[in-house]
Amino acid sequence: MNVELPLLAFVLGTALATAVLRDVLGAIIAFATYSLAIAVVWVVLQAPDVALTEAAVGAGVTTVLFLLTIAKTVRPSGDRVLERLHWPALGVSVLLVAVLATTLGALPAVGDPNSTVITSEVTQYYLANAYEEAGVQNAVTAVLASYRGFDTLGEAVVVYSAGVGLLVVLGREVFA
Amino acid sequence: MSDAEAENLDTVDDRGSYVESPIIMATVRVVAPFVFTYGLYLMFHGADSSGGGFQGGVVVATVMLMLGIAFGIDPLREWVRPATLVVIVSLGVGAFLAIGFATMLPPFDGAFLEYLAFGFHHDSKYGIEAVELFIGVIVASTITGLFFAIDAGKEGGDNE
Repeated sequence: MNVELPLLAFVLGTALATAVLRDVLGAIIAFATYSLAIAVVWVVLQAPDVALTEAAVGAGVTTVLFLLTIAKTVRPSGDRVLERLHWPALGVSVLLVAVLATTLGALPAVGDPNSTVITSEVTQYYLANAYEEAGVQNAVTAVLASYRGFDTLGEAVVVYSAGVGLLVVLGREVFA
Repeated sequence: MSDAEAENLDTVDDRGSYVESPIIMATVRVVAPFVFTYGLYLMFHGADSSGGGFQGGVVVATVMLMLGIAFGIDPLREWVRPATLVVIVSLGVGAFLAIGFATMLPPFDGAFLEYLAFGFHHDSKYGIEAVELFIGVIVASTITGLFFAIDAGKEGGDNE
């Protein structure tokens, strides 16, 4: 059975629920579901590394941090379940999606062996030599930690800087 | 269910952020060791299958989040010690840099992060795994730190 279409409908549904639900707790739960569905999309696209990240960060950690945040703030009360639509904002969103959608035709099909990414000289080099040169079987890891180790060091420092930046903004010396 | 949760969240300021629930505590007690092991597996095994330092670090951090939610964030904070956390993050970055520079030192004379310069068996594989481990340490402790910081909130602000 074709899994893509139901999945796409689910992603769109949860995204819409996140946007229009008035109850913040409900919106956070819908957002976590959305992240989980996106993780499944990555699995369908055969990118398990990205799927793991999306599931752990999007559906897991972010949800907890959001829940902590609403525990510290107030939630809107009232009988209405859904947010009122803001028409100008909706118009801008639709316009943006329409503009982005014009680029869809330029994308190669999923798994297309003739796409530029696959036939590129760099990709071919990594696939041919990663196992022998880096000694690991996951070519993604070989690229991240060996061929582009300096790049990954920068990413690790970005995470570190995020923590330091938070402490600076809060005016603290430790995460208390 | 949503009403009960709403009540919990509304009364959370009166009782502190810790709401005791035997079900959550028992579940976390059972699940935490497995999640922690899975996080370590992702870090160490990322070289040969999907996963890696970042993913493993996040999964290990979720163990801390689970413990904080089940047994209270304040006890967890006392157990971890916020100052230790800052030291661990810095050590992770320092260790990554150290591996990078180690390959440039006189006996090896390689480029920055050129594991092959070490010259022992499977040097590249072990180099990659060490680096992944330190990325995991950085990510896990930073996320735990964010968790603590958001829970503490801005000092002097009131929880209105």
